[in-house]
Order: sequence, then structure tokens, then C-alpha cells
Amino acid sequence: MQNLYLGVDIGSVSINIVAVDEDNRLVFKLYTRNSGSPIDLVKEGLKDFKDEVDLANYEISGVGVTGSGRQLIAYVLGADTVKNEITAHARASTYYYPDAGTIFEIGGQDSKLIIVEDGIAVDFAMNTVCAAGTGSFLDHQAERLGIQIEEFGSLALEAERDVRIAGRCTVFAESDMISKQQYGFTKPEIIKGLSEALVRNYMNNLVRNRVLEGKFIFQGGVAANIGIKSAFEEEIEAEVIVPEHHDVMGAIGIAMLAKRDIKRSGEKTNFRGFDLTEEKFETISFECEDCANNCEVIKVIADGRVIAVTGDRCGKWAASLITAQNPAAADMKESSQKQEAEAEEETNLYKVDPEKEKQVMRELEELELEDEKKEEEKAAEEAEIAQKSEAADSDEKDDNVYV
Amino acid sequence: MKNIKIGIPRALLYYYYFPFWLKLFSELKLKVVISDKTSRDLLDRGVKKSLSEICVPIKVMIGHVLNLDKKEVDYIFLPRFRTIREDVVLCPKFLGLPDMIRHSLPSLKAEVIADIIEAESDDISQFSNHKKLAEELKIPKKEMETALKKAAEFWQRYRNLLYKGYLVDDFLGVEKIEVLEKLISKFENSSKLPQSQKEELNSSTTEEVVDIALIGYVYDVYDQYINMDITNKLKEMGVRVHTFSMVREDIIEKELAELRKPMFWEFTNKLYGAAEHYFKKQEIDGVIHLTAFGCGPDSMLGQILEIDAKDYDKAFMTLRIDEQTGESHIITRIEAFIDLLRLKKE
Repeated sequence: MQNLYLGVDIGSVSINIVAVDEDNRLVFKLYTRNSGSPIDLVKEGLKDFKDEVDLANYEISGVGVTGSGRQLIAYVLGADTVKNEITAHARASTYYYPDAGTIFEIGGQDSKLIIVEDGIAVDFAMNTVCAAGTGSFLDHQAERLGIQIEEFGSLALEAERDVRIAGRCTVFAESDMISKQQYGFTKPEIIKGLSEALVRNYMNNLVRNRVLEGKFIFQGGVAANIGIKSAFEEEIEAEVIVPEHHDVMGAIGIAMLAKRDIKRSGEKTNFRGFDLTEEKFETISFECEDCANNCEVIKVIADGRVIAVTGDRCGKWAASLITAQNPAAADMKESSQKQEAEAEEETNLYKVDPEKEKQVMRELEELELEDEKKEEEKAAEEAEIAQKSEAADSDEKDDNVYV
Repeated sequence: MKNIKIGIPRALLYYYYFPFWLKLFSELKLKVVISDKTSRDLLDRGVKKSLSEICVPIKVMIGHVLNLDKKEVDYIFLPRFRTIREDVVLCPKFLGLPDMIRHSLPSLKAEVIADIIEAESDDISQFSNHKKLAEELKIPKKEMETALKKAAEFWQRYRNLLYKGYLVDDFLGVEKIEVLEKLISKFENSSKLPQSQKEELNSSTTEEVVDIALIGYVYDVYDQYINMDITNKLKEMGVRVHTFSMVREDIIEKELAELRKPMFWEFTNKLYGAAEHYFKKQEIDGVIHLTAFGCGPDSMLGQILEIDAKDYDKAFMTLRIDEQTGESHIITRIEAFIDLLRLKKE
């Protein structure tokens, strides 16, 4: 029986699932387009996994989830490690290329730059307010020009003339493209101009005044585009390497991180098993009206049981799942439940209580009444506990309205 | 006279001067109403009434003024901060704030009291800075001066605590002056260390504690709604948070002297001085510049810090905040930043 570690990357445009073994060899790899319902896609991916990998030889020993949609899927899968995509990408590329110096990563809706020194990420940048020059933008333009995104890159190499297209803003880029087309530039030329604009935009927004050192690694979905790759090479005047598994590097990285975490803690995985492909998942969202923030709260329901609540700023809905003894919490694996409860308790220590003022007042009054400091602290603790349990009680009532 | 309600918007420099103002009004025996904490609803209302191009802290301010008006206050206390140091002004939006409010909110019921603040230092307790307030509320000069003096002393005590390493956060939840007074004396006599100085943190992570200097204006760093509660998020991830208000004036002064030409804006200069101080400090692992999208002065500051961070070989990141409600972009960035610092330490 060999150990396998699952890595899942929930991006805005693609969903990737990989499995690596103890020696970081890739046993399974799946790249799918995110068509809008990540839970179903992950379920399908796991089915593919079951068909492709002989489970008699392997055992899932750890699960890591990354990407912008990581929170939700982490609940669904029972993930051991949930981490941001920057750390995950850096992990994978420094594994394959220990001498990497610069990592360009362009995904569906964001682009990243990671600077590596001696195998360790030392600096990074991420696009800030604008998605110009990311995968989605290219997708959109390919559609407008009536070509397949897969052909986009190779077409750019056929260009005979250079044409400059504005890269600052997608709106400007688009109007520039339309007028340049009317001037008689060919599609390949327009595409080449666009690729250069994208790289220029990347350099202006992310690289800025950083000095880049080799090796240069280019990964993410857009790395499949050889037009962009050659535009990068032209811009930095050096060779750019596109790794074999450039499209799933985030998933590989998070699988490796999950492995590390499991090894470190020595605990068993929280993975909810392959049976979850049979479960029916639903997400319900509602606007909480208890305060002026009107948070959009999302509930994840598996076979009629609430397994996660997220989206609330104050954390009371999320906490209600653990404190209120609803069936979901009871049904969850005992260890994971305990862990979550502990984590919740600890984080609560730092959450600013909306009733902080009252609490401080109470505490201070006690301070006056009883001169002895120790006794005062005890009382404050008791008061806090009482208050918390009170809050939990009322949450339970509130919660039932919606369940 | 005693039934007059004065509203203070919980925005902009409230986060800098609130103990001073609370003490001042309590000494004058006036009833103070503070606007609610920033919320989505409050910000939405502010956004609707503001210029779309303006930075988010100003939109927040407009939301707070509207919130006060709904609470039916008689006056809104909105000083026009011109300068708190010779030859240096504040951001133009502070200079024009009362006019901007009058223009954006023509149907405001409450009267705006807008004294021009012109001081030589952070101490704004001179009578000249409160003339209109005294006139409008018919407070005798003598009485006003006594109250101002007490408020200034109180504020100084509070600042000394900040210098010791307390966060503005540690005091912010409190609005009643009696509670604040007790809280301050409790901290003054406490043997416990503030979070930024503690050896061990009780955070949920088992990983190594890192020290991050969070450089940003008080109204960005301490408005928990607008910054998605970043200080608590950092604390939860096992970070000791250091901010510019912990750095003494004289240190900032010294750092500023090294700049060939200081900038025009007072708080920008303060942030610069504090950031340079943290760059030089061995214990600080990384510096985060928290800035509101479209902030003019920060476009200068951010660039300078970015260049200097490289010279000091300190990890540096810019975090931009705006009207977004999704938290994931902030979490992704700070988590990656902290991972990077931890790996560096290993």
C-alpha cells in the first residue's frame, strides 16, 4: 500500500486535481475548465481518479486545497492543508527547478510574479485592481477574433509585421484592436501585438523596478500559449522555461505542502473519502440581516446536513455550526470536529467582541470591588464563558430558523 | 445648553485623536454621539453621496456624517486640519473636508462646526484651534482652556501607552470616557506586555511567530470594516503587529532628517519615518504598506518604501484596500507574505 497525496487547485477559470506519491511522482493529473459549479467538477474529477488509479495499491494520506475557491472545496473534501496559491506555486516550481530565480504565473484572473533565491520565495507581486492581461482577457479576445484559444499562441508566431496595441486596460486594448484591424493588420499580427501588450502590462504592474534573475519559469494556464512565451523571451532577452505540468503546478504544490503537514503533525488525514462522489451537495446563500454589514452567508449542505457555513464577517454563523449541536457537527469525524472547535476557540480570543466595552466595564468594576487581582481575573473569565455560552445558545435558536 | 448633542464621525483622524476629543467634551459636560462602526450599509450610503473618483476613506467619512445626521445630533464636529507642523500640510482632502461635506450633503440637518486646526505639533489643544466651537456653544474661554489642557494631558498618557507597544485597537472599542480612563490606568499599571512585545502569542498556529510592521494611516489600519480586520487576521496567523503610532516622535524626526526633501503631507512623513525605523530594526521580519486605492500621497510614499526596502533587504508588500467585500484577496496576500517570511527564517 502506497501513500498518495491529493492536490486540488480551484481557480477562477480551471479546476485541477493531481495526486503525488511519496517521491513526488505524479500519479494522476486532471485539468478541467471551471464551468461554474466547482463541487460537481471536483466530484467528477474524483470519479475519474477512481477509474484511473487502482485504489488497491494506493491510499490517500493527505489532501491539500488551494486557489481562490479553496475554502468551500476544503470543507467538501475534508482537506488537511488549505493554503494560498502563491505559496503552492512557489513550492512546486522550486521542487522541479531548485535553481529557479523568477517565476511568472498567469492564470485565469490573476497574474503573479514570484522571486526565488536559493530555492526559497523571497518576494512576490500579484496584479492589483485590474484583470487586463490575464487568461480571461485572452479568452475573450480569442472569441472576438473567432479563433480557438489553443491556436492563439502559434498564430502569433506567424505575424510578419509589428503592431502596437494598448495594454493598460482591456477597454483600450479592445478599441485599439478593432481600429488596427480596420487598418488592415492581419489576425496573427493583432495577436502578436496583444501578446506583447500583455507582457508589457505584466512588466509595468508586477515586475516594476525589480531586477529579474534566471532561471525564468513560466507557469499557469496561459503558459500553454507559445506566443506569450516568446513575447516574454523578447522582453527579458533570456530563455523562458515552461514546465511540463505548467497548468497544474498549483495543485502539485499544494499536494506537496499537504504531505509536509501530515508528516509534521503525524496525524491521519481528514479526507472524507471517495464516497462523497455519491453525496449530494448544495450551497445555500442568504443575506444575514442581524447588523448593517448584511454579509452574504453561504451554507454548504451535504445530503441534507450542513457541513460548513462561511462568508460571515463576525463568525457567528460559522461558529453556530460547531457550538450548536446540529446533526452535521455530530456526524463529522470526531477528530476533525475537535480540531475545528479548538481552532475556533483560539481565534475567538482575538476576535474583537462587539460587546467589548461592556466586558471591559464589567471587568473594571470587578477590579474596583475586589482588590485582589487574581480573584478579579477568575471572575472575568467566568463572565466571559457565561457570555459566550449565552451567545451560543441564542445562535442555535437563530440557526434553526434557516436550517 | 446641557441637552445639546454633538456628533463625532468615527472616521479619518478620529482614530488618532479620539481620546483627546472624548476627554475634551466630557470636561465641557457636553453629550457626545459617535457614529456607528463602519458597516456595509454605512459605506454604501457614503458611496452614493460621494464623488466616484475619491478615495475610500473619504467615502467612509461621508457615510459617518450621514449616520450622525440620522441620530439627530445638533452639531457635527468636523475640524479642518490644515497643519500640525510648520510648513507641512495634510492631504488636500483634509483641508477641504468641511466644504466637501457641505457640498455633498446639502440637506444635512445638523450644523457643522469646522475649526481650522493650525498647530505646530500633534498637540492641537490651543484655544485658537477651538474658537468656533467655543463661540457656537457659548463656552467661556477660561473653561475651554482648562478643558483643553486636561484633554491634552489625557491624550499624552494614551500616546505613551501606544509608544509602549499598544495598538490603537486595544482602546478603540471603548467610547465612555470613564471606561477609557480606567482602561488607560489599568494598562499603565499592568505588568502584562502588549501584543507587539509578547514573547509567546496564543494564536491558532503552531508555526514560528513573525514580526510585521503594518504601515498605513490610522483610518486605514484601524477601521476593521474597510481593511477586512487585518490586524486581527495577522494576529491569528501568529504575527506581532507593529504600527507607526508605536514609534516616538523624535525617532520619526530623526529618520525624516535623512530625507533630502520631506514630502508635503504630515501623516505621509510620519509613516515614512516609522517605516524607515522598522526597516533598520533587526527584529522586524517584513513591512506591509496598507493603502487605500487612489491615495495620492501614498503613490509617493509607496514608491519610496519599495525602493528603500530593497536597500535594507526587508520583505515588503503593498496591500490595497477599496470598496470590495470579498476577503479572499487580502487573505491570499497576507498568508503568502507570512509563509515567505517563515521560510526565510528557517
